[in-house]
Amino acid sequence: MASTPTTSSAPAPPVVFPTFRNNVIINPVQRGNPLIECIRNVGKEFGDIPADYQVGRTTGLLFLSLKYHRLHPEYIHQRIEKLGRSYNLRILLILCDVTEHKDTIRELTKTCLVNTITIIVAWSNDEAGHYISCFKQFEHKSPDLIKERTEKDYHSVLRTALTSISKVNKTDVETLRSSFGSFAKISQASTDQLQNLPGFGQVKVKNVKSAFEKPFRNNA
Amino acid sequence: MSTLLPFHKAILEEIHDPATSDLLVLARGLGLRRVVCSLLQIYDSPKSLVLLVNATTEEETAIGEELSIHGITALYKGGGLIMVTSRILVVDMLTGDIPIKLISGILVLNAEKVTPLVLESFVIRLLREKNTNAFVKAFTDQPEHITSGLSPLKNIMKELRIRRVHIYPRFHETIKKSLERRKADVVELSQGMTESMADIHHAIIQCMTATLAELKRSNTSLDLDDLTVENAYFKSFSVIVRKQLDPTKQLVSDLATLRNLLYYLLTYDAFEFNGYLDNLIESNTVTASGGAKVNQSPWTMTDAAHVIFDTGRRRCFTLSSTSKTLPTVIDVDEDEDAWEALNEAQGIQVDAKGKSVASRPGWLPSTVDPVLEELPKWELLTDVLQEIEEETVRIESMKKPPPILGSNTVLIMASSTRTCNLIKDFLATYDPNGKKGAKGRTMMMRRLRLYLWWKGKLVERKEQGRGSFAMPSGSSIRDAKKQSETDISEALQKKDREKAERNKSRRRMRGGAPASSDSRPTQPTPEANSGKVEEAVLAEFFATQATAESGLTPFDIANVNSAALDFGSQLLESEFNDHYGLVAPEETVLIRAYSDDSDDRILAELQPRFIVMYEPNMEFIRRIEVYRSSHPGLGVRVYHMVYGNSCEEHQYLAGIRKEKDSFERLIKERGSMLLPIIEEKREGAGYSEDTVKTISSRYAGGRRELNTEPSKVIVDLREFRSSLPSLLHAANNLVVPATLTVGDYIVTPDICVERKSIPDLMSSFNSGRLYTQCEIMSVHYKHPVLLIEFEEDKAFSLDTIGEMKSYAKPTGKYPPKKKPGEQAQGNSPAYSSIALQSKIVLLTLSFPRLRIIWSSSPFATAEIFNDLKRNNPEPDHIKAVATGADDDPDVGAGVNTSAEELLRCLPGITPKNVKYVMSKVRNLRELCEMDVMGLQDLLGVEPGKACWEFIHKGEGK
Repeated sequence: MASTPTTSSAPAPPVVFPTFRNNVIINPVQRGNPLIECIRNVGKEFGDIPADYQVGRTTGLLFLSLKYHRLHPEYIHQRIEKLGRSYNLRILLILCDVTEHKDTIRELTKTCLVNTITIIVAWSNDEAGHYISCFKQFEHKSPDLIKERTEKDYHSVLRTALTSISKVNKTDVETLRSSFGSFAKISQASTDQLQNLPGFGQVKVKNVKSAFEKPFRNNA
Repeated sequence: MSTLLPFHKAILEEIHDPATSDLLVLARGLGLRRVVCSLLQIYDSPKSLVLLVNATTEEETAIGEELSIHGITALYKGGGLIMVTSRILVVDMLTGDIPIKLISGILVLNAEKVTPLVLESFVIRLLREKNTNAFVKAFTDQPEHITSGLSPLKNIMKELRIRRVHIYPRFHETIKKSLERRKADVVELSQGMTESMADIHHAIIQCMTATLAELKRSNTSLDLDDLTVENAYFKSFSVIVRKQLDPTKQLVSDLATLRNLLYYLLTYDAFEFNGYLDNLIESNTVTASGGAKVNQSPWTMTDAAHVIFDTGRRRCFTLSSTSKTLPTVIDVDEDEDAWEALNEAQGIQVDAKGKSVASRPGWLPSTVDPVLEELPKWELLTDVLQEIEEETVRIESMKKPPPILGSNTVLIMASSTRTCNLIKDFLATYDPNGKKGAKGRTMMMRRLRLYLWWKGKLVERKEQGRGSFAMPSGSSIRDAKKQSETDISEALQKKDREKAERNKSRRRMRGGAPASSDSRPTQPTPEANSGKVEEAVLAEFFATQATAESGLTPFDIANVNSAALDFGSQLLESEFNDHYGLVAPEETVLIRAYSDDSDDRILAELQPRFIVMYEPNMEFIRRIEVYRSSHPGLGVRVYHMVYGNSCEEHQYLAGIRKEKDSFERLIKERGSMLLPIIEEKREGAGYSEDTVKTISSRYAGGRRELNTEPSKVIVDLREFRSSLPSLLHAANNLVVPATLTVGDYIVTPDICVERKSIPDLMSSFNSGRLYTQCEIMSVHYKHPVLLIEFEEDKAFSLDTIGEMKSYAKPTGKYPPKKKPGEQAQGNSPAYSSIALQSKIVLLTLSFPRLRIIWSSSPFATAEIFNDLKRNNPEPDHIKAVATGADDDPDVGAGVNTSAEELLRCLPGITPKNVKYVMSKVRNLRELCEMDVMGLQDLLGVEPGKACWEFIHKGEGK
């Protein structure tokens, strides 16, 4: 995907490369922000960039605390304007530190959609720092982690499969497996058998039965 | 239909008028269904169109049976009564399939669940938009649910646009008058717990208190008044706490576990209880992957917990170090007999054990001394049955028996089908001459054996390195037996079982007992057709001679020689009627679990004179009152069993108090309520005050031009389960239902939104579905949007700080530079520990075009959507449906989502072939029954094999 398009789309302002590959470049205006302390496990250096944090060659990140935004509502718009068209992936990291966030976030959502910026909301400096380091660390990571996976061991597949039925929890999966043996046997279990299992009430039994026995398509 | 009592009539008179809309709150157990059904009958005519919504499936079937209402299949235009689920109704109303103007009224059941977020309020809003004349009648019998929050009653009435409310608590004048003319003959039996039970009971309460204290300490902001042990007895407690705070899940679920334990202590037999405890310990100390668990529930560390586990085991058996213990507690003679009979049945298979000295069965390890504590209520139950028997005999032996109404059937009511099974088991096997507290010895021994067998199996399994923990396979020894003999084919076993069932009856008959058969269909069978899982069981208890023998039958079932059975069944066919005709009612005992209003019908049909309430239940007492009052001249005796000074008693009393309190609150609220003004109907959405939202920018100077096209959002049909469509409609959007292949909501021609609630988000990250969905959205739309929607009353935050700390450094595990191979294998084990945040990061990195909307509630979402729509053209319905749908032949067909989810999880099933599989195979069961070849044909060679192996893993040896 777009994780490593090293080519063109080069931003108009001079591209700043970090001294070490693993460094996050921080805009000097962010100096003194407690957030910087919370960025862990990656190197940090200051550099003249259009964004606040440059967490990848094509990824720029703006930071906004809602408290600050309330005092200076025009600030973020100036920043976005300054950002221009730079970066392939543009992030607005919002620190949600006020209770009346509804309208502000709504407003910002609209602004960002127009300016092709993706919003990420964090609720603490720790969390925000975690996001920044994640972005840097995952710069070259493949998205396999969130793709549908195939190879897994039997138990976890069975667990994921059966817990997809609503109301069935991990313990129930064990109960089912140990009482019936195999997936096929579970699929053939009768209502009475299921009813007799510890922890299986009527609703759960009904859910299990309907998952296995109701047709996939009801117009068939 | 049963007769109506005076108060029923009074209620009907109050609310039947089709010109008004009413809300009826009736105390539970007083026959709400009867009222609803009579009302429906009044309205039933081909000229009117009356809809019934928000009924549970059980209610639907039960009401349907009583009145023969057609389901949704009947055409709306035909008129009459129609039951319909709200989701379908909403869609039909939106698409105009139902003539809204012609609806004469809507009946809403379970009105306590109505909030601005549910579909019912959407239905009513849609109705009122076009039709002001129709009536709305709402019903509820759950006053407890309408008491939390600020003016809850008003909110419900506002949502339903109802201005009149009728409240009928049990203490209402009319109800009192009609019910208390004749009081039922109630015998209250308070049974003490055994010493060890009391110990455990006390310990559990201690643990609950400790957990509650912990909860209070860690969350100072909680509303502390509600947090008492008494409240914790109720299921609703978890809801209260969750409402107040989401994070401390561990403690809250601990409380739920403890509450269950209390319940199980009183209802499970000693072995099941101990098995459950074992399981609890296992699941608490070991994680899924087999490693030791770090965060154990705090209460398991307390001394009290130790008492629970220890005493729990001691109720079953004790372990002694020497094998030379004094002769066991088992009653020698009785047991000898029993085992003899068992051996006879089982043939050579277990020859050694009957002869074992000191009547110790061979399977019993020498270090185990059975204690076999029985539940005290069993003893009590046998006494009660004895008394009933004597009473019947006494009445019958009277010279001139007075004309007796009702049948002599004894009805035993218990709280769950599980308890029913247990009682049934006990009654079938108990020994009337046994010592006090040891009457069910035969059954308990069997359970001990089952338990030991299970334990053995467990160890075996552990040794095989499977690292998993089985749960006891429950009360049914048949299941266990079946497991142990997996080599016998399923079908054969089924046959065996059927035959054995019949064989069992045959044996009894030979034993000279009155003919009575378990396999005989019970004569009152509403539960059978109501599709509910209920166990109505006939257990004969007069045939005491046969008990020892019949008690063993479950054991030999699997072993009985089928040849002998064939002969048996032949015999059966010919002589069936002689021996297996209907049993005289006085010889039957019916054991049932409490359920809802359908209990009324059971009472009406059975007309029992003796009712044993094995566990206290307020509703059922009222049912008996109603039953008694509607059958004048019928003498009913009720035995009401309670464990004295236990949570059962407290819960019962607290339940009554709670109901009374909530009624009082409702009445108070009604008194002081400012009636909501029902807003005037709006002709068509999208034309009201907000209409000028699409301002044409071509005209300078603020000249506004009215856009004639109403603002429109296209919503996927599956999304109608959520509350957002309703809120979008409330925010003056035209909601267009459609079956969308891509996305959930199409807001503008360019913006496509996929909505995810937090649990949804996590699961679809795990399954990888979200990635696929984003992929598709990116292909078809210019602005793919992921909507992360938090719930209204929950915190607007992804994780609590406490949980944050634990992964403050997990990123160390994923240094950016690593050898590729290492990274790949590093993924799977630590997978679960990666926080949601990291996955969001990865998702945005993969889809730079994807926007994320963070919405604190569905209300906020509706506002955001309106914002996004401003100055943008309206989406096109036909285009949206067609988008991305080219590869699926079944677009628009109804889909069994839970089955689809499950199917997607199976190995060998990929997003690419899942649609194909679903079109080829009827259901999952059919898929499981396919052989390797069939699956390989379907999925391809490798995936097919993988799938087959997964499905059949763990079978045979």
